[in-house]
Amino acid sequence: MKLLLGLILGGAFGAALQMSGASSYTKMTNALRLRDFTIIKLILMAIGVGMIGVNLLDALGLANIRIKDLYVLGILGAGLIFGVGLAVSGYCPGTALAAAAEGKPDAWATVLGGLLGAAVFAFLFPELEEHLLSIGSYGKVTLHGELGIAGLWLAVPLGGLLIWLAFRLPLKEVDR
Amino acid sequence: MARARTLGPIPLSWWGGGLAIGLILIIATALAEPIGVSTQYVVLDGVLLHALAPATVAQSPYLEKTAKGWTLETYEFFFVLGIPLGAFLAALATRRLSTRVVPAEWAGRFGPSPAKRLAWSFAGGFLLLFGARFGGGCTSGHMISGISQLAVSSMLFTAALFAAAMLTVRYLYSHPNRPNLPNREGRA
Repeated sequence: MKLLLGLILGGAFGAALQMSGASSYTKMTNALRLRDFTIIKLILMAIGVGMIGVNLLDALGLANIRIKDLYVLGILGAGLIFGVGLAVSGYCPGTALAAAAEGKPDAWATVLGGLLGAAVFAFLFPELEEHLLSIGSYGKVTLHGELGIAGLWLAVPLGGLLIWLAFRLPLKEVDR
Repeated sequence: MARARTLGPIPLSWWGGGLAIGLILIIATALAEPIGVSTQYVVLDGVLLHALAPATVAQSPYLEKTAKGWTLETYEFFFVLGIPLGAFLAALATRRLSTRVVPAEWAGRFGPSPAKRLAWSFAGGFLLLFGARFGGGCTSGHMISGISQLAVSSMLFTAALFAAAMLTVRYLYSHPNRPNLPNREGRA
């Protein structure tokens, strides 16, 4: 039952990515060049809706919250490496899978490169953990946790702001 | 390879796609857990290596911890398995299947060589997953799920990601006459 739920939710996610152009190299590259805001508006909308919904669930005691640890140096370095990978390939780990399924061979190369990168990380992990991942480590930090208030108090204005921004930004669409 | 695009228009608007992804996150968080993709690359590596070269797997406690029980029959893996399935069906239904190797945008800047595009997308994939596992998440797990849960680590990851990605793209695309990169005619 859980497997079927995973397949259905993942399938809907993949279809949404594919149908809105998020799995397009051109769209992603032009988003990063600030020439086509489709993907930026989509992400702002997704996070805005998700933020309000997830925190509403949490207020009702229905959310399975999973906060990721904050380790400042490691997270910064990781984000920088990931960003270069995103710029060069034009895909992220999820959209690469969607683009590969559309038949694009360069996305297959990204998935294979990803499998290798993940494997290399897995074997280097003990080294990295000892030296880098412990620097600036604060555990599971959230904005609302720091303020000592319920997430919903921040999620409604912040999520609303993201959705407003999503509508406010121009589309500047380049569909080539 | 930069042939003219004959694909249909994008069938889903940005707000339709964003709303759908937000709702998927909400349903997943209620019924299972927030969405995430990159961990499953490690799980697939672990299960494959465990089957093919069990001795090497023992050298990575991280692999053993991540690929719990060396099985792919988990909610998390099936979620990720669903992504290409859903994308394939969507592309099939909207006639947007494509086998182009070199995106037109890339060809216009770096030339039509398929080998070059494949090599760079492989390298990009390596960096993506190395970075994602280093940081404990990717666009799905950190950016969409993490920021929605107001996690500070996810906001930091996202800020670093966009800064690096925008600077890299600017570097890659803003110097058409850089001598050691191919020019617009595709000469190396």
